Amino acid sequence: MAGLDEVLRRHRVVICAGSGGVGKTTTAAALAVYAALSGRRTMVLTIDPAKRLANALGVRAIGGIGSAVTVEDVPHGMLSAMMLDQKGAWDELVQRHAPSAEIRDRIQNNRFYQHLSQSFAGSQEYMAIEQLCELHASGAYDLIVVDTPPTRHALDFLEAPQRLADFLDRRVVKWFVRPYFSASWATMRFVNRTVGFLFRRLEEATGISALVEVSEFFTAMSGLFEGFEPRVRRVYKLLRAADTAFVLVATPEEQVLGEAEYFTRKVRELRMSLSAVVFNRSHREMAGSRRSVRAEDVLKVMKRAVGSASLATKLTDNFIRYEAIGRGDGLRIEAFRRVLPKDTVCVEVPNFNSDLHSVADLRAMHRFLMAA
Amino acid sequence: MNSAREALFERRLLIVAGKGGVGKTTIACALGLLASRLGKRTLIAEVDGAGRAAHLLGATPGPIGEPQQVRPLLSEMSVDGTAALAEYLQIIVPVKVVLQAVFSSRVYQYFVAAAPGLKELMTIGKIWYEAERLDEATGKPRWDLVILDAPATGHSLQYLGMPQAAHEVFRAGLVGRESQRLIDLLTDPQRTAINLVTTAEEMPVNETLEMHQRIRDELRMPLGVLFVNRTHVAEFEVQDIEPLAAALAGLRGGERAIAEEALNRAREEAAWAAINASYCQRLSSAVRMPLVQLPFLFAEEFGSEQVRQIAAATESALATARRRAHKHGRS
Repeated sequence: MAGLDEVLRRHRVVICAGSGGVGKTTTAAALAVYAALSGRRTMVLTIDPAKRLANALGVRAIGGIGSAVTVEDVPHGMLSAMMLDQKGAWDELVQRHAPSAEIRDRIQNNRFYQHLSQSFAGSQEYMAIEQLCELHASGAYDLIVVDTPPTRHALDFLEAPQRLADFLDRRVVKWFVRPYFSASWATMRFVNRTVGFLFRRLEEATGISALVEVSEFFTAMSGLFEGFEPRVRRVYKLLRAADTAFVLVATPEEQVLGEAEYFTRKVRELRMSLSAVVFNRSHREMAGSRRSVRAEDVLKVMKRAVGSASLATKLTDNFIRYEAIGRGDGLRIEAFRRVLPKDTVCVEVPNFNSDLHSVADLRAMHRFLMAA
Repeated sequence: MNSAREALFERRLLIVAGKGGVGKTTIACALGLLASRLGKRTLIAEVDGAGRAAHLLGATPGPIGEPQQVRPLLSEMSVDGTAALAEYLQIIVPVKVVLQAVFSSRVYQYFVAAAPGLKELMTIGKIWYEAERLDEATGKPRWDLVILDAPATGHSLQYLGMPQAAHEVFRAGLVGRESQRLIDLLTDPQRTAINLVTTAEEMPVNETLEMHQRIRDELRMPLGVLFVNRTHVAEFEVQDIEPLAAALAGLRGGERAIAEEALNRAREEAAWAAINASYCQRLSSAVRMPLVQLPFLFAEEFGSEQVRQIAAATESALATARRRAHKHGRS
């Protein structure tokens, strides 16, 4: 069976997915460094890295492409990094697609927009994918490694473009456009009892001034997303392309793996390809759990080696406690692997004794990531 | 203020917030166990958490939006914004036929799926409803305490900030008035406390500090306790174990393998204990909240037994947290 190095070699886009807090950012960075070391022009699109990791990757400003990273053994220009701004994603979307400065200002000065843009479902995810499309189309890189935004559900990333497209669908948006002033709305109010009723209730609930504001917001937006559908289709085409691979990152905890299992099913349904799973921060029992190590045997050995009986006991207790975790992690990882297609690459990365921040740290991960 | 414990459990609403994967649901369940043991009728409300709270309390998840009792005085419920909106519309739009038509229309479904802030607002609304709900038979509040297991940080702030946003947009209408009631509850230090959960590692701590500052300065909501979960406390120091590496050289074969593995595990534990200690230090100097440190549990599986252990650790740590607060004159 091929390993992760093969996955990197065969694809032009590698997307690291997984629920929040499992180590996606670090894994994406480590994969990018590996690809660059093997001579491919690599870009890592990263989101909210720890400060020291951002420094290590040479990313200083949000949005801008980081200066090519100078890394030992990596030829200059082989590795670049770019950091996405999570918070201003929607502003960026408006900036980028507003047909005129006037419309842009109208949207950005709208109170409804100002209050709610932060939580507009999927805007960060959509921006990440849009950025990916642009970098991909530029042809400047052999490989783009993508770190996905920290969502509770790994799947949010894949569904965001479609949700956003649905929401901005002109046929839907038009219901909300200028309901009080447009002739078509007046007609609709009689023709469509359901919508008419909904709006009369909304009107009572919110007061007219607010609805005008909402309506103006949608009027401005509807101009903004002219041709949004084709862009979303292009996004999904890239996500489904033969040279795009998903790498799922998970920690061997029950909750995380439950989420991961759902993700693997959905990826298949969406006709995308999951190439590899990284079990991060995993422990294993000693000797692969063929036979559990007995506490008294360990204590005997430790007493001989250590001298101090009390220290020997503490070290033994600690060892036995870690064995319990290793046993649990092992069982959960094996159970998870059984539901994966046979050709999915699975690797385990242990829990390192520190946060991983330097390029040297990332290189220390390679031994585990690239294990056959 | 008496002890941190009483201060916490005399509130009506405890919000448990923090970055994803730090153990919010566990803490929410542990607080629920403690409160119900103190005789409080308690509801744990979990926001899109797939029934994890029920599972940790040894029960099977019930239907969304409906409280189910899992222990004496302790109930649990999953909250979903879409379901809460439907429930709310049923109250303000009593005509069934019209409502069915609304729910099944494509416009409604798309709008609800993507509308900015709507689900968040309805979720908080549902929590408010439960916190204020009266028992039909007795006329008294149905719950003494509601514990909200909030979604991961970025999302938590969106949830908590939504009533304010909605109030500013819809000042005059019904939504404006309803939002004001939510804001009143969320900002009332007598009734509500926002508790934070983190682990003592770089990224969660950074996020916690940012969240703490935004809750205090922007949302102006009353802060409760900071839970530092999964801390390693090694019984030995790095300098105790490093000299052992040389001693192992005298061992052979299987014995040597065992001793080396034990040494590596000791290194791991000592390293994480040192990392955790330094971030705890950073938290306690930057955050003026009582700090409750909870141990990392070495368990093969994490289940209801582990939640009981965390509850016990929380109980004794809350007593210490009070002393700390007094010492620093922060009570």
